[in-house]
Amino acid sequence: MPLAAAYHRPGTVDEALALLADAKRVPLAGGTVLNASRDASQIELVDLQALGLDQITMAGDRLAIGATATLGSLAESDDVPRWIRELARAEQPSTLRTLATVGGTIAAPTPDSVLIAALLVSDAQVDLAGADSRPLGALLSDGVPNGAIITSISIAVDGDGASACTGRTPADVPIVSAVARSSATGMVMALTGVAATPVLVAPTDPTAGLEPSGDFRGSAEYRSELARVLASRVEGALR
Amino acid sequence: MSELTISIELNGQMLATTVEPNENLRDVLRREGMFSVKFGSSSGETGAAAILFDGRLASADVILAAQADGHSITTVEALNTERELHPIQAAFAAVGALQSGYSAGAMVLGTMALLESSPDPSEAEIRDMLSGILDRETAYVKPVEAVKRAAAMMRGTQPEPFAPLILAPLTEGGKASAYDPNDEAPVASQAVPRLIPSRDVPEMAVVGKPEIKVDAVKLAKGNPAFTDDIDLRGMLYAKLLTSPHAHANILEIDDAKAVALPGVHAVLSYKNTERIKYASGGQSWPNPHPHDQVSFDTKVRHVGDRVAVVAAETVEIAEQAVSLIEVTYEPLPAIFDERQAMEPDAPKIHDEPDTEEIFDAERNIVHEIKAHRGDVEAALASADHVFEQTFRVHQVQQCPIETHTSIAWLDADERMVIRTGTQVPFHARRMVAPLLGMDIKDVRVIKPRIGGGFGAKQEMLLEDIVGLLAKVTRRPVRIELTREEEFISSRTRHPQTITYRTGVDRDGKLVAQDLYIIGNTGAYGTHGYTVQTVSGLRGLSQYVCPNKRFHCDVVYTNIPVPGAYRGYGAPQAEFALEAHMEDIARELGIDVIDFKRANWVTAGSEMDIAPHLGERAVEDEELDEYPKIMSEGIEECVANALREIGWHRRDDPEWVAPADQPHIRRGIGFAFCMHGTAIPFLDMGGCSIKINDDGSFNMLVGATDLGTGADTVLGQIAAEVLGVRLEDIKVYSSDTDMTPFDTGAYASSTTYISGTAAMQAAENVRKRLKERAAMLLDVDEPCTIELRDRRAFAPDGRSVSMEDIALDSLHTQEQEQIMGTSSYVSPDCPPPFAAQMAEIEVDTETGQVTVKKLVMAVDCGVAINPITASGQVEGGMLQALGYAHCEEFAYNDDGRMLNTSFGPYKIYRADEMPETVVYLVQTMEDSGPFGAKAVAEIPKDGVAPALRNAILNATGVAINDLPFTPERVWSALQNS
Repeated sequence: MPLAAAYHRPGTVDEALALLADAKRVPLAGGTVLNASRDASQIELVDLQALGLDQITMAGDRLAIGATATLGSLAESDDVPRWIRELARAEQPSTLRTLATVGGTIAAPTPDSVLIAALLVSDAQVDLAGADSRPLGALLSDGVPNGAIITSISIAVDGDGASACTGRTPADVPIVSAVARSSATGMVMALTGVAATPVLVAPTDPTAGLEPSGDFRGSAEYRSELARVLASRVEGALR
Repeated sequence: MSELTISIELNGQMLATTVEPNENLRDVLRREGMFSVKFGSSSGETGAAAILFDGRLASADVILAAQADGHSITTVEALNTERELHPIQAAFAAVGALQSGYSAGAMVLGTMALLESSPDPSEAEIRDMLSGILDRETAYVKPVEAVKRAAAMMRGTQPEPFAPLILAPLTEGGKASAYDPNDEAPVASQAVPRLIPSRDVPEMAVVGKPEIKVDAVKLAKGNPAFTDDIDLRGMLYAKLLTSPHAHANILEIDDAKAVALPGVHAVLSYKNTERIKYASGGQSWPNPHPHDQVSFDTKVRHVGDRVAVVAAETVEIAEQAVSLIEVTYEPLPAIFDERQAMEPDAPKIHDEPDTEEIFDAERNIVHEIKAHRGDVEAALASADHVFEQTFRVHQVQQCPIETHTSIAWLDADERMVIRTGTQVPFHARRMVAPLLGMDIKDVRVIKPRIGGGFGAKQEMLLEDIVGLLAKVTRRPVRIELTREEEFISSRTRHPQTITYRTGVDRDGKLVAQDLYIIGNTGAYGTHGYTVQTVSGLRGLSQYVCPNKRFHCDVVYTNIPVPGAYRGYGAPQAEFALEAHMEDIARELGIDVIDFKRANWVTAGSEMDIAPHLGERAVEDEELDEYPKIMSEGIEECVANALREIGWHRRDDPEWVAPADQPHIRRGIGFAFCMHGTAIPFLDMGGCSIKINDDGSFNMLVGATDLGTGADTVLGQIAAEVLGVRLEDIKVYSSDTDMTPFDTGAYASSTTYISGTAAMQAAENVRKRLKERAAMLLDVDEPCTIELRDRRAFAPDGRSVSMEDIALDSLHTQEQEQIMGTSSYVSPDCPPPFAAQMAEIEVDTETGQVTVKKLVMAVDCGVAINPITASGQVEGGMLQALGYAHCEEFAYNDDGRMLNTSFGPYKIYRADEMPETVVYLVQTMEDSGPFGAKAVAEIPKDGVAPALRNAILNATGVAINDLPFTPERVWSALQNS
C-alpha cells in the first residue's frame, strides 16, 4: 500500500480538479497499480469512483468509454467490438479485471498492454478535465498533465481487428504482440513489448525505427524478430 | 494520518469502522474476523484475498478500506450460517478440490458470482473466473469440476457421487502389450482418475474409497485454521532487514534511530544475538554438516540474506524502523554460476573460521559425493557405443500461496510456543531450542493447517527470529514474509549442471552409466548434501546397468538459498536421464519405448546404487544383498499412457506438420519415472489412538498434512482396521506437546511410514476392542471377533456396538482407556513408477511452445484415497510444467532477482492449463499399509523430459537447458 496520509472522494469533476491542484495529491482509479505500490513517499489519494465516469456508451459512430469503467465492464459490454473485449479480458485476470479501469490503464501504461494497443489502433482520443483532449499516442508520450484527470476515451468501432502474440504460456503477458484494425480507411497497427509503451507502427514496415530493450523474457534481437513475424500474421489475418 | 470512519455492508450486515487512509481492505476484513480472506501477495495477483465487491470477484489486497466505504462486501463466511456446507462448498469438498484450502474462500465466492450471472457456465467461463486465483496444488482440475458440480446442484440436479473410473487392465501382469492405434482411450472428465485395480488387492470398506477429506469443512468454510488466523493480545509484528548485496561484509550496524522510533520494541542483529551455528534444513538428528548459518551474521551471502529484524506495534512501524537501520557494507565479489564457483579466482563465500566440515572452502565445494558399483571406466572403454551429454537445469521456487509465517509467545509456564507453517514441527523444535538458549522440553511447536509447502517449509526458517523476539520482548511476535521476501529469503530448487556418459552394447543394453553433477546450493548448505544425493540416486536407479558411478560437487554461490522442493533432486536428474536416453535411442535407430523397456528395472531388479548413497550409505562389503523391487506396474502404466496420448500420432508426418498451419509443429514426448517411498532406516512416524464414549476415536499423529490429504489417508487406514467409518476417526496433527514424534512431511513418506504407524496403532486398539467385545458377548476366543460397520461381531452373528464397548470400558467394568500407540521406521523404500506423456505444439517462427495435454499413469501401489492421490498427481504435474516451461529466477548482474512477483515469475493459471489426465495403476506393495506406496513426488519427475522429447519429436531439435521459454526454443531452432 502507498503511504497515504489522507483519502478524498470528490463527488464532482470540479471538486476532483480542485483537490488535485495540490501536487502531493494523486488520482486513484481502480487501485490495482497504486494500491499495490510500496512507494514510501507521503501522498494523499483522490478517489475518482464517485465522479460517474464509468459509463460505456455510443456517441455517434464512436464509442465513449468512461475513464473509471473497469476492464471487466469493457470485456462484457455488447457495444464494444468482440476483438477489443477479448483483449480487455486478456489484460488482467478475473480478480483484478473488476477493479482496474481503462483510464488507469492508460494513465500508468506498461510496455506490454494489449488493451492500450487495441485502443491505439482504434483511433483513441482521450478527453481530460483540466487539459485539452488529445490522441492516446500523445498522452502516452507526454503522460497525463499535472492536475488533470482523464474523463473518457473515445474509439472508432468500425472495421475489424486482430491480434497475435507470443508469451511463455497462453495467458502470459505477451513478450511482443501485434494488434491491428482494418477499416474503410485502411489498416492501423500497434505493437507491444518493443518500446516504453505500446506504439503505432506502419503495417508495411512495422519494425522501422524500433529499438526495443531486452529483458529476461526476450532480448532486443528476439523482440524485433517477433515484431516482424507477428505483424505479418496480423496483417495477413486482416488482409 | 487522519483516520476515517467507513460504513460497509459486510455479509449482509452494516458495519461502521475506523480505518487509516492507507489501510487495505484485506487487513480490515481479517481484523473483523473474516479469516477466509488470505494473504498471498500485496499486489493482488494470487487472488487468495478475493472477495465479492458489490457482487464481483476482486482482490482485497489492492482495495483500500476507504475505497470500500458505501459498498457491499461478501466473504465466504456469509455462507456459514449453519453446520452443513453450502452446495458450492459441498461441491468443492466432494470432488477433492480442497487441498490446502488456502484459497478456498476465493474460489467458492468466485463460483457464487459466476453462477449468479451464468447458471450453466461453460468450462471457458469457469476457467476465466479462476484465472485470478492462483493455485499450486490442484492444477485447477478439480476446482473446475467443483464449479460444474456446484452449478448442477444449484440448478436442482443431484450429480452422481464423484468416484474414479474403473478400467480393465491392458496388460497381463508385467508383460508388455502391443500398442493398438485404433484402441481409443476412455472418455470421462479429466478430473476423474482412471483406476486400474489389481486382482491382488482385496475389496475394502474405507481404504481405496473416494472419502471426503477430514478437514474439508474448515477449509471450505474458511474457518480460522492457518498460522496467521489467530490474534493474540499484545501481538508485535516483525519485519526483516535483508541484504541488498549478493556478497558483503557488514562493517557496522547503527540501529539507534530504529530503536528510538515510538512503537518499536526490539531490534536484533549480530550485535545483540548470540552466535550459534546451525543448518536450517529440517532433517533428522544429527543435521548434516556443515552448520554454516547463524541467526544474524557479520557477512551476507545473497541478496535477501538476513541482516536484522525489528519487532514493533504494527507492521508499518516495523517497516519504518527497518528503513532507519543504518548498515555499513563492504561489498565483495560475488559468484552465481555453479560452473564458475570452483575456479581458482572465485570469491570464497564461507571464509568464517567457525564452520566445520566444508569439503573444500577455498574452492566453495561444500560436499563431494561419490558412489559407484562395478567398473565404469572399463565398461565405457569396452562399450560398443558411448554417449556423452551435458544438461543445465535452473532455479525455481516452490511458491506456496501462503508465504512463510510464524508466531511465537511465552505461555503461562514461560515455555516458548511457536505456531508455524512447517512441514517438520519436531525437527523445528529440536533445531530452534539451542538458538533460543532453551531446552527442547521448554519449546512447543504447533503446526496448524498449511497453505502449501512443497518442501519450502521443510526448513527452520523463521522460528528462531520470532522465538528470539518473543523472548526479548516477552510479547507475542508474528512474522509473515512478503511475496518478494518469499522469493529471495526463503528456499528454492537447486540449479545443476549434469553430465551423463553412457555405454551401450550392440544389443541396446546399458553397460555403463557415469553421472557427474555440479549442484548449486547457493549461500548455505542446508539441504545441499541430501538433495544432490537424491539426484544421484534417481539418476542411476531406474535402468539396469552393471556399472554405475556418481560424482557430485556441491558448491556455494551467492544465489538465494536452494533447499527442499518436492521431488528433491529427482526432477533435475530425471530430466537429464530421460532426455539422454531419448537421444541414445534416436542415435541408435531404436524405438524409444523399446530401448527404455529393454533397460528399465522390473520386479526383482536390484536397487543397486541406493545403499551407497545418503546419510546411511554403506560399502559393498557391508551389504549382504541389495534391496529389490518387489512391486511394479510399469507396463500397465506405459500401456495406458500410450493409449491416452495417442502415441502413434508422433510418427504421422501429417499430424506433426499440419498443412493448414505451416509454422506449427506438433510432438509427443515420453518419460519413464521412478521415485522413492521414504528414506529407509531413517524416516519414522508415530501415532496414538484412543476410544471415546460414543465409539469414535481420537487419532493423534505427528505427520504433517500440508494439504496433501495425509490426515484423511491416515484416518482411512485406521478406520479400515477398526471397522468404523472415516467420520468416526478424529485426526489431529501436529503439535510437539500433544502428538507422537514424526520426522515430518517429506521424502514421499507420510502414507507409507506414518500410515504404517497408524495401521499398527489401530491394530493395537483393535486387539483390545476384540478382547472387550469377547467379554461382552461371552466369546472365548477374541480372535474370532470381527470388527465392521461400527460393531464387533461374534462368529454366531451376535454383536455389540463400538459405543457399547466404549461405555463398558470407560464406565462399567474393569475400566480402562482403550488406546493404542505405535511407531514405524521402514527397512524398505518401495519405488512408485510412472509413465509421463506430453503433447505440445511449437510455433517455429516464434519459438513458443504450447502444451496441449499431459498424461501421467502412476503405479503408487494401492491408492488409499484415489481422489486425493489423483489430486497429488495433478498438482505435481502443474508444478513440473512450470519448471519445464516458464518458471525461472531472473537476475541482474549484481544478483538481484528481477521477477519477484507472480506474472513476471510466471506460474500457470486456470485459463491456460493443458488437459491433464491421471491414471492410477494399482499394485500390491506388501511392505506398505494396505499395499500403498508413495504418490506425492513422482509427478514432478517426468514433465520436463517429456516436454523436451516432444519438442524434439516436433522439430528435430534437442534442447538441453531448462526452461523451454520462447527465445530459448527459437534460438535452438535458428541454430539447428
